Amino acid sequence: MRARSILLHTTLVATIACGRTAPGRAGLVYYESYDPRSLDPALSTDVPTGEMVTLAFDGLTQFDPDGRLEPALADRWTASPDGRRYVFHLRAGVKFHNGTPLTAAAVRASFLRVLAPGTRGGRPWPLYPIAGAEEYAAGRAAGVRGMTLRDDSGLAFTLTEPLAIFPKFLAMPVASVTPAPAPPELGQRPIGTGPWRFVAWQHDDALTFARNPDYWGGAPLADTLIVRIVPEPLTRAAEFEAGRLSVIEVPFGETARWRAQHPGWLAEKPALRVVYVALNNRRGPLSDTRVRRAINQAVNVPEILATVYGGRGILARGAIPPALAGSDTTRRAYGYDPAAARRLLAEAGYAGGIDVQLWRTASNVELSRAAQAIQSQLAAAGVRVELVERDASSQREAARKGQADMVILDWWADYPDADNFLYPLFYSGSFGAGGNYAFYSDAVTDSLILAARRTTDDAGRTALYRRIDDRVYAAAPWLYLWFPKDLWAHRPDLGGWDLPVIFNGQRWTHARVGGR
Amino acid sequence: MRLVGRRLLMTLPTLFGVLVVAFLLLNVAPGDPVAAMVGERADSATIARLRAELHLDDPLPARFGHYVWGVVRGDLGRSYITQRPIVQDLEERFPKTVQLALAAMLLAALCGITLGAVSAVQPGGVFDRLAMLVSYLGVSFPVYWVGLLLILVFALGLHWLPPSGSGGLAYLVLPALTLGMRSIAFLSRITRAAMLDVLSSDFVRTARAKGLSEATVVLRHGLRNALVPVITVLGLDTGSYLTGSILTETIFGWPGLGRYVLTAIEKRDLPAIQGGILFMSLVFVLVNLVTDLLYAKADPRIAYD
Repeated sequence: MRARSILLHTTLVATIACGRTAPGRAGLVYYESYDPRSLDPALSTDVPTGEMVTLAFDGLTQFDPDGRLEPALADRWTASPDGRRYVFHLRAGVKFHNGTPLTAAAVRASFLRVLAPGTRGGRPWPLYPIAGAEEYAAGRAAGVRGMTLRDDSGLAFTLTEPLAIFPKFLAMPVASVTPAPAPPELGQRPIGTGPWRFVAWQHDDALTFARNPDYWGGAPLADTLIVRIVPEPLTRAAEFEAGRLSVIEVPFGETARWRAQHPGWLAEKPALRVVYVALNNRRGPLSDTRVRRAINQAVNVPEILATVYGGRGILARGAIPPALAGSDTTRRAYGYDPAAARRLLAEAGYAGGIDVQLWRTASNVELSRAAQAIQSQLAAAGVRVELVERDASSQREAARKGQADMVILDWWADYPDADNFLYPLFYSGSFGAGGNYAFYSDAVTDSLILAARRTTDDAGRTALYRRIDDRVYAAAPWLYLWFPKDLWAHRPDLGGWDLPVIFNGQRWTHARVGGR
Repeated sequence: MRLVGRRLLMTLPTLFGVLVVAFLLLNVAPGDPVAAMVGERADSATIARLRAELHLDDPLPARFGHYVWGVVRGDLGRSYITQRPIVQDLEERFPKTVQLALAAMLLAALCGITLGAVSAVQPGGVFDRLAMLVSYLGVSFPVYWVGLLLILVFALGLHWLPPSGSGGLAYLVLPALTLGMRSIAFLSRITRAAMLDVLSSDFVRTARAKGLSEATVVLRHGLRNALVPVITVLGLDTGSYLTGSILTETIFGWPGLGRYVLTAIEKRDLPAIQGGILFMSLVFVLVNLVTDLLYAKADPRIAYD
């Protein structure tokens, strides 16, 4: 009995305390599933860090929620006809949160800082197209020769070769502009030009931002934005249902229930992501195109998408997501045909079937389940799959070193362009760590990918993208699965928020609680 | 005091052993710390440069010597991932872990010992059967499930408490209950068993024969003498709670040590894992020391010399 009265007492005290401390009811509350690395743009190599950097900082360009490129700190730019030289003109009157004015020198200093070896950020590549950037990063040059100040408000970039999508590279968080010289502890107390000023960061708990009333793009409508760190999806769902998170990605387990009970909460959009199984094109039987095609025919992808993934995706008939120019949704899919798969395997000399390993990681529950479904379906066609389960880090290492036959993976866009789904994933120079986990290598594909990068005319580039995707699809370097559709829920009283197709496409400036 | 000093000195070899094992295991385990630093798309030149800058390609003995020298000076290094000093990270998380651990232990001690003691007074009685059912359930239900169930009932159903996060006392209740659940169950069973043992011994019969009240018999003669095994369990549990609790902290978004080390492991953040393990070992060793000293307090027959 005593135990019960103590419990009751604790609960009562707690309830009273709760009334006092419930946070962020009036403001906006977003979440991350783990603590960002840092708030230093130079360290933004993962999604939580990139999203937080996007709140406090701006780049020369930016993406809107639909992934369209927009002017940001540069209000206009020009490209030379050959696409090798760009001039960016800075927006006038922009100030950092500490009151110092934005200058072209600060932009240059920010880029140098990202490239400087001592920064140890790990993501200098978005700036590598600038002539001399790679040499500077390697410590072989004192400056970056392709980056020059025109005056206080203009910067010229000369690239190593034409790159039509260079302005998109500059919208990535790593290319954000920081004050010069960079303030100490920039990663803990960021000072940017972005819509939100940094207020506080309790690690593993929450970040607090306040509106920047002087934001050049119009001050945010809400006063505060709290970003909580909530690692567990079901806890997030509870927090959302209790009204303590403004938006949330719908947990897979809740898909059907929320679709039925709260359709008004939901927002759905095709994401710039692809889910696939990389087939190591250089290992054993998988080096035979016929075997890889057989695998694509032996798996009933629509069924797995509908059951394991809650139908939250669009069947992949290529690597370019449907929202991007260059995607071809009418391409003929391999289609589920186990008998044809068996015939192809026999034709390749594997009438008795093959034995392969499929790597998966438990930290991605849905993909892990999909791997299991793939295993059982492939068995029916004579492909005997052994599932290898490792943590994400070990899996990544094995995949990068080419030690895994098959790995189930997803790929998130860094910039909204088909190039982001071709150059890293299928260019032979991107083997392993660069993103080409299938170790797919084809001279024609390589030259087409490079040609597309050099093509300044949009229609011509789109045509090339489609051709590349056609060619690669026919070679079946992957088991093509699906393009995820993001399914998010927002509180009924949240207005002005739009589900972004890319992680850094949402700045929360138009969002507010109450009044849609 | 001399005893404490000697015992503290004896912890040094233990900690050094932990350091050696942790260092070696981490460095032979698969997974590249640089891979987590560069993210999903990188070029091999950057990776090679980062490895060189972090001395990851140096011979193992040299790296170990460098690390030990840092530890001796009280410097656990900086995280590869966040670039923050590890000591600062631990300083930030540990108070949160202590808060949760103490709350859980307090709850466990109060509920567990009470349940166990009261059950032992009338073994086989209604209360005893009920209490043992509760403790069976407490031991059998996984922490994960209990945590989510508590959120469902107290946060979503009754709206009494916040589902997760940290802040005032209200935020402490559900995680402490989740974390303490197993201890409540264990403690009640162990207290009951020890009490039954003690209550059937000769001196208790003598005490009753002297005409002492039942309360005095149970509390002064019974409970006090049943405390040694209880302290053992309390000590072990406190030690493990103070070193963080990954599941409870993850479910309730509690910013403690457990999650810190888990994140570090996922990213192969070697300095953070090593520093975390070393710190946890230190805490564990110290808690064990305190437990040993408490034995002597509870039972004067136990002496250390």
